[in-house]
Amino acid sequence: MMLLSRESSKWKVRPDGKEKVTGRLRYLTDMKGANMLYGRVLRSSYPHARIHSIDISVALRHPGVKAVLTHRDIPGLNGFGISQPDQPVFCDELVRFEGDAVAAVAAETKEAAEEALQLIQVEYEELDVLSSPEAALDEGAPLIHPAGNILHETDYSRGDVEGAFQNCTYIVEETYETPRQMHTYLETEGGLFVPEADGKLIVYAPTQHGYKDRMQLARILAIPEETIRVISSPIGGSFGGKDELNVQPYGALLALHCQRPVKMHFSRWESVKAGLKRHPMKVTMKTGIDSDGKLLAHQARILSDTGAYSTLGGPVLNFATEHAMGPYLIPHVDVKGKAVYTNNGVSGEFRGFGGNQVIFALEGQMDRLAEQLQIEPWELRRRNLRQLNDLGPMGQRIVPTDGPKQVWEALQRSPIWQKRIESTKNSSLWLRRGIGLAMAMHGSGLGYGIPDHAGGTIRLSKEGKIEVAFGHEEFGQGLLSTLEILMQDHFQCERDDLNIIIGDTELVPSSGSSTASRTTNMVWQSLNRLKAPFLEALFERASFLTGIPKEQLQTGRSGIWMDKKGYRQQVLTYKQIADSGVEDLEFTTAFHYPITPDPIIGAHYLYTSTAVIVEVEVNLLTGMVTIIGIDHVVAAGPVINPMGYVGQIEGGSVMALGFTLTEDAVMDGGRYVTKNLDTYMIPTILDVPVQHVEAIEELPDGDSFGPRGVGEVGSVALAPAIVSAVRQATGKWVKSLPIKPEELLQDSLFLEEIEGEKTYESKSQSVSK
Amino acid sequence: MSQKVNPSVSEKMLTFEMNGKTMNLSVDPARRLIDILRYDLDLTGTKVSCEIGRCGACMVLIDGKTYNSCLTMAYQCEGKKVVTIEGISAGEVDPILQAFLEEGGFQCGYCTPGMVISLKALLKEHPHPTVEQLKEGLAGNLCRCTGYGGIYRVLERLSRIEPV
Repeated sequence: MMLLSRESSKWKVRPDGKEKVTGRLRYLTDMKGANMLYGRVLRSSYPHARIHSIDISVALRHPGVKAVLTHRDIPGLNGFGISQPDQPVFCDELVRFEGDAVAAVAAETKEAAEEALQLIQVEYEELDVLSSPEAALDEGAPLIHPAGNILHETDYSRGDVEGAFQNCTYIVEETYETPRQMHTYLETEGGLFVPEADGKLIVYAPTQHGYKDRMQLARILAIPEETIRVISSPIGGSFGGKDELNVQPYGALLALHCQRPVKMHFSRWESVKAGLKRHPMKVTMKTGIDSDGKLLAHQARILSDTGAYSTLGGPVLNFATEHAMGPYLIPHVDVKGKAVYTNNGVSGEFRGFGGNQVIFALEGQMDRLAEQLQIEPWELRRRNLRQLNDLGPMGQRIVPTDGPKQVWEALQRSPIWQKRIESTKNSSLWLRRGIGLAMAMHGSGLGYGIPDHAGGTIRLSKEGKIEVAFGHEEFGQGLLSTLEILMQDHFQCERDDLNIIIGDTELVPSSGSSTASRTTNMVWQSLNRLKAPFLEALFERASFLTGIPKEQLQTGRSGIWMDKKGYRQQVLTYKQIADSGVEDLEFTTAFHYPITPDPIIGAHYLYTSTAVIVEVEVNLLTGMVTIIGIDHVVAAGPVINPMGYVGQIEGGSVMALGFTLTEDAVMDGGRYVTKNLDTYMIPTILDVPVQHVEAIEELPDGDSFGPRGVGEVGSVALAPAIVSAVRQATGKWVKSLPIKPEELLQDSLFLEEIEGEKTYESKSQSVSK
Repeated sequence: MSQKVNPSVSEKMLTFEMNGKTMNLSVDPARRLIDILRYDLDLTGTKVSCEIGRCGACMVLIDGKTYNSCLTMAYQCEGKKVVTIEGISAGEVDPILQAFLEEGGFQCGYCTPGMVISLKALLKEHPHPTVEQLKEGLAGNLCRCTGYGGIYRVLERLSRIEPV
């Protein structure tokens, strides 16, 4: 599909666009409450320590301070965490990482709150810091949690790997390492917490699953879920990072305690210190092929640094385990993973969800094997690619997909592919070009065994709008546009005829999370389910009001229409129908995300495929890598919202560019060294080329599952493609990300070579003058 | 229009032009402009993100030039003309805003006001800019959502049209 085509009626200005570009949109962190207080959290001073005492008396007496809360002030559960609540809201005896919360303050001014934090006296006894999974796995290592330092282990195998390695012609074994990537949403965590006169609490704070926040908060506050209203949209970026609770427990506790609105907004440093990161993983792979290049055996060991608390560290490891085989057919497989607690910052959910790390490793294996066999790396992939009806990576039944083959073929239409065939030109002796490719098949939805409910509501509102309500959030991805496009398609009406409600537990049904590349598919399915009963009831009413047989009625701009002697004529406005009563014009659907029938925990059923080609230029004098061009092909079924689709791929890709070249939240002894955006480097526009995205929309015959997710897939395959291009440019294999320029610097021999080539240099200089 | 916040002995009268209107504020001269905008004046179109001048989310125009308002103190605004995103979006349809809207130059939108401010200053300096000049103008503005794809489309368009 020509994604950027303006002739397409689907390329349209976003419904939330005007408010965003004019600065008029009130993000939840822009909000103020009447008579509000400012909340702050006291974080631990140590990555691992025993707390002997906490003295809040001086802080409490500080002018302007209204509350200082600690673990003693939590009415309910002192813990949170989506999969298991093992992160204390406030530490009582033990701090397990630098960002652990010990106390929270509410004060009349930001300044007073800040001063009060300094006045809380905590007596710590420092403990040995476990700053790597290896250290945490050592025998005799102190236990970070009572049950031990291993959060989760995975083990998937089939065939006889050891035996199969005996029959391999080539075997490659390598260990790959990936960085502690930070989501770096531009809007840091924050929100406004408003206690209502009737005892209710309104929470205005970004999240990717409002109902889940409500459940977690109810548990902490020991109040019924129904007394909490979570308003969770709009959001200034999330990428998985705001999926877990962050600011909410503190704002909620302070607001209820003081019975006044409390505003909180993390500084960047607090966001770095307390917020989630992508799991740093060490992935060792041993992979063997026969003399024809057929994969025979594949062994992977994944060691994941999950930090101090679990959040979704377990499911992330499940995902990594499933994706360690890629879209390839391998008879003998053995994958084992360990997610290990450390005293590092908490790792958690992040776009790609563990796929990014193992796909980097697996695609690296494919490239190295191709080199051994001396064939084209793309050809090696072809020889091993799954076919339409093959089982999924863990042997589970999946919805038939030809995505890998489709993207494998389509990528060869890229102009960068042509350049590759014609062989790349180096612009000087020390500026070396290279081109690399990689591909991936990425699951969407939460996977087998995890509640993954979906649903939504449609109604004719009293105001005469076709109104839908979904428990999803808009964090930039373009959900509002997608909904608008789908609804206009269903009802042939105008933007003004619609009302879309999201991100407010008081107004929306529970629709599951806005994560895991699932939302577009879920709202598409919901509307498909809701359309028929809604139209039936609408036409029934219109027919009752007008006497026109309902078979002749259609929805359209501002009301119900019919064809009369070749003319299209409006018979009723939506408002007229609404005025006759709207009680029976509301329908709700609830269903589960499609799952594989095979009981393999975390295994996926629906997949999106991608292939990416990249051209790089490496400066051998500085070791710096410049990305010259990136082309993507994505097979994700029909494109609903082209602007959103292309934006997801371009944006995910540049996140992967950062992951590959510059981004690493460096920790030293359990403390963050990179504290802000001066040392944590995300790509600027100067680091990024114009990218091209091709969408393959064709699905296998009879497929009824519609559009697949594209929220994550743009971020999973670029890293290995860049590394492959760097190999071509420099002859060096990179196995640890981000790429360190010093690894690519040429040695002195090369400098002598340049010395010898002075003629070349002076010639090129004289040309440039 | 003026508003008193935390009156204290350290406050001084500050007079400057805010989006075309003269404003007299009693503030601590060392108070950051970003706090004056977001908290005292409730002009929240100017965003706060890194607070060390690296991300550009808090950019404003001061006498037509771009400033990170997180690094600008109240006294530095004395007698100056400060323009925020609210000042730009108040008037006629701005071609920069229009380009962002139609080209998909934003997703979450949090960096967008700062981007608009930077381009506004650049277009003033270079009424017929090349894409390269426009890119240079955005070197101090980080976007985490778009991968700059939509922003490139904005720049292409701004390099072609006649600026107002």
